[in-house]
Amino acid sequence: MSAAARWDAIVIGADVNGLVAAHYLARAGRRVLVVEQREAPESRLDVGWVPPQIVRDLELAGLRIEQPDPWIAAPLDGGGRLELRRDIGQSVENIRRVSPTDAARWPEFCARMRRLAGVLERLYVQPAPDVETRQIGELLSLAGLGLHVRRLGKQTVIDLLRILPMSVAELLDDWFENDTLKGVLGAAGVWHLRQGPRAGGTAFNFLHHHVGSPAGVFRPPRSNIGQVLAALPGVEIRLGDGPLVLLGKDGRAADVRLGSSGDEIDAPLVVSSADPRVTFEPLKPHLDAEFVRAVGNIKARAVVVRGTLALDRPADFRVLCIAPSLDYLERAYDDAKYGRTSARPYVEACAENGRVELHVQYVPAADPALAGAVAAALGVPAGRVSLETPGSHCYHGELTLDQILFMRPVPGWSRYRTPIDGLYLCGPGTHPGGGIAGAAGRNAARVILQEKVRS
Amino acid sequence: MAPPVTYDAIVIGGGHNGLVTAAYLARAGKKVLVLEKRPRVGGAAVTEEVFPGFKFTMFSYVVSLLRPEIIRDLDLPRHGLHVLPLESTVTPMENGDYLAAWGDHDETRRELYRHSPRDAEAYDEYGHLMHHMAHAVRPILAMVPPDPTSLDPRDLLALLRLGRHFRGLGAERLHALVKLMTMSSADFLDEWFETDVLKATKSASGIIGTFLGPRSPGTAYVLLHHYMGELDGVFRAWGFAKGGTGAISDAIAAAARSFGAEIRCDAAVARVLVKGGRATGVALENGDELSARVVVSGLDPRRTFLELVEERELPAEFVADIRRFKFRGSSGKVNVALDALPSFTCMPGVGRHHRGAISISPSLAHVERAYDDAKYGEFSRRPYMDIVFPSMIDPGMAPPGKHVMSVFVQYAPYHLNGGWTDAKREAFGDAVIDTIEGFAPGLKSHILHRQVLTPADIERITGLSEGNIFQGELTLQQLFFLRPAVGWAKFRTPVRSYYQCGAGTHPGGGIMGASGRLAALAVLGDGA
Repeated sequence: MSAAARWDAIVIGADVNGLVAAHYLARAGRRVLVVEQREAPESRLDVGWVPPQIVRDLELAGLRIEQPDPWIAAPLDGGGRLELRRDIGQSVENIRRVSPTDAARWPEFCARMRRLAGVLERLYVQPAPDVETRQIGELLSLAGLGLHVRRLGKQTVIDLLRILPMSVAELLDDWFENDTLKGVLGAAGVWHLRQGPRAGGTAFNFLHHHVGSPAGVFRPPRSNIGQVLAALPGVEIRLGDGPLVLLGKDGRAADVRLGSSGDEIDAPLVVSSADPRVTFEPLKPHLDAEFVRAVGNIKARAVVVRGTLALDRPADFRVLCIAPSLDYLERAYDDAKYGRTSARPYVEACAENGRVELHVQYVPAADPALAGAVAAALGVPAGRVSLETPGSHCYHGELTLDQILFMRPVPGWSRYRTPIDGLYLCGPGTHPGGGIAGAAGRNAARVILQEKVRS
Repeated sequence: MAPPVTYDAIVIGGGHNGLVTAAYLARAGKKVLVLEKRPRVGGAAVTEEVFPGFKFTMFSYVVSLLRPEIIRDLDLPRHGLHVLPLESTVTPMENGDYLAAWGDHDETRRELYRHSPRDAEAYDEYGHLMHHMAHAVRPILAMVPPDPTSLDPRDLLALLRLGRHFRGLGAERLHALVKLMTMSSADFLDEWFETDVLKATKSASGIIGTFLGPRSPGTAYVLLHHYMGELDGVFRAWGFAKGGTGAISDAIAAAARSFGAEIRCDAAVARVLVKGGRATGVALENGDELSARVVVSGLDPRRTFLELVEERELPAEFVADIRRFKFRGSSGKVNVALDALPSFTCMPGVGRHHRGAISISPSLAHVERAYDDAKYGEFSRRPYMDIVFPSMIDPGMAPPGKHVMSVFVQYAPYHLNGGWTDAKREAFGDAVIDTIEGFAPGLKSHILHRQVLTPADIERITGLSEGNIFQGELTLQQLFFLRPAVGWAKFRTPVRSYYQCGAGTHPGGGIMGASGRLAALAVLGDGA
């Protein structure tokens, strides 16, 4: 007998979403194998909200969720820094030094944004609303969502309708006048987007990255959830094997071929947290042309490179943001628009356990001049900056308004299913997207388990 | 004793929407007065003899989409409306080649094939989809937007019906609609075509009247407009009114008069009279007071609410919303009198292309760079332009043997660094002419006169805030039930008996007359 009978499900990718999906399936009694291309699990902290449902369902012990305080510091023109803290009152004091008007508006802004992020949180822990449905259950859930939003007050309805399609620049210009403050906040609106802060939809991206944070904190939390999941018993993880999904003889995604060993393992269920474009590549001959075109049209233009900064003494900041104004961000984007790396990039440095990690944007392609530009932005000698080579988009698809909810990963296939029987997606390329730790994995597993019960 | 009420309705502003409202109200038997501050009606849709013998459509330049029901209801052809088709669009390229779209579909397809066989294939499928999308959107343009924040059963029912309409489209069209509403025109076109000049020319239509570039999300939606005219079977996508755009205003005014409406020019309104939260009439700048049961403003939201009425008559939240409403005029107009037609390098001599539009959009980068300049407060050094020669279509526009050239230019930001001055206006005019000269050497030697209009000029002359020709940007957060503010998108206002009918309401500018018609129906529906 082949190895076929050994596994009920193969999960591709030992990242947070893959592992969350695997553990939900395992808890429902499935025998699950996780295959991962990398040799070792990721040692970096995971960025993004960890939905409390996951912590509860999978009983994640030892989970640490960190949010630095102050959560951001930005250099001021006349020297010194603007520091924003978890405590709204303290932030108000700090903002007052640069703009009393902005300081007065901060508490109200934080409360309004928090309420909107709360709506997103509710949307994110379930599959995307199915707007085409004719099923009563779905319609009720849509109506329930509408009612939930309405109960938050008329202002929330107005804010949602107005703000979601807006640019983050318009949103911030409505509230604030200080460039440093607007730069720090606007940067969250362009995270992982090949768009500038003046582009419509960046206000949504700003709220997306506010999800899971308390009011007044506009950078996502970091956690060790990846490490906790990797150590959690219940699933087998095979590292260092590049997986490839192949079509089985009966038209189901039954075989997963492992690149280096050449082993073929089959299981009735394959769940991929890999990039949808990568997952579907070998399956193209079996897919309908419209679907292949839709997958090819996924916009996933990577613009962020990560790196590290070597300092000779401990960093005097937790998180330092170099995005002095909305115009600075917009000009950084202008370069990327024409395919060039930003001459003056947006840089964020995060100090943790003696390491300083860097987020650098916009980098559409490798550029030898970039390390120098990053060092100049941070005011350190060039040799101290080392950058990774630009890779593919870590969200597997930009979070633009045409690629969220029922449009993600491709229109009409937002519910983790694929045109191939037995093959499901569960990565950040699906709803609710990157920057949310494990929500897609959990939603996918729940869809799979519900379907199995029904069939 | 209160003076007797003189009119059933006073319409402030004799732009085309105000005239449409007046015509519909008069047609329903109401006693209507239109008050226009300029010596002639039309607002931004006027034809004027700028230089002796040379007539120009001053601000707008082509007829887009006058609603067919308006043409029918008001019997406009009988009142002098005569639309001539603009049959082609030719885009000169930097390398001396061109891209042309002709009136004949097969010819256009062959032309496209020359640039890219793949795009020629995709062209039909694209046109097919857009045609269907336009069908799907059309009913929405003709409906009064429901209030999404209201718990009134009528609003909930209307929202439900709207939901059902969208679901009735079927998955494929619904998804395409979401993409059109949210994507940039460049990204949307990237999914279909590979020819850069084709994408540049098509996407240019998505930026008209906005402060956005072809790579800005939200611009794809306007691509649809080009397909909406066609399916009404009345106009081709774009047309040119005999006598200029002013002739359309004149036809609507004639229709209104035939129904008994009174139109008074040189009558600027200073403010709306409000008593006990109800509009009772208007005060003119000359001090006269006129009373009416209903007052309808065709001016833009800023003037309608922040200038014509006292702030204390309006809820604070609403005032804040109107203050936030974005205008940011971004386009200018250059009107040129010529002693001969220019010869374009890509199509030397005089030809049928002079009877259509010439689009200066040689590449996506050209249009996007033009936007970059404006983003930081400068006019485009090499702008995007849409050029027509109205005298080729309607010889009455220029003296025999001479011509008028109408150049719509983007971008000329209202908020220019340092503000607009005479010197800057001329520098802007030079940038326009120099850029065209690059594609049509010798143009300059044919110029007899030149009139340059910046958004500041448009504001000064027409009163349109920040010179925005659409009475407020057509961006997603300013459309439908958000136009001009949530809760007040049904043509009513927080002041009883005071209505709004300008392009600052749904469905907005570029769709001529629809706001005016819907406003009139709202007034009549309220039993005024």
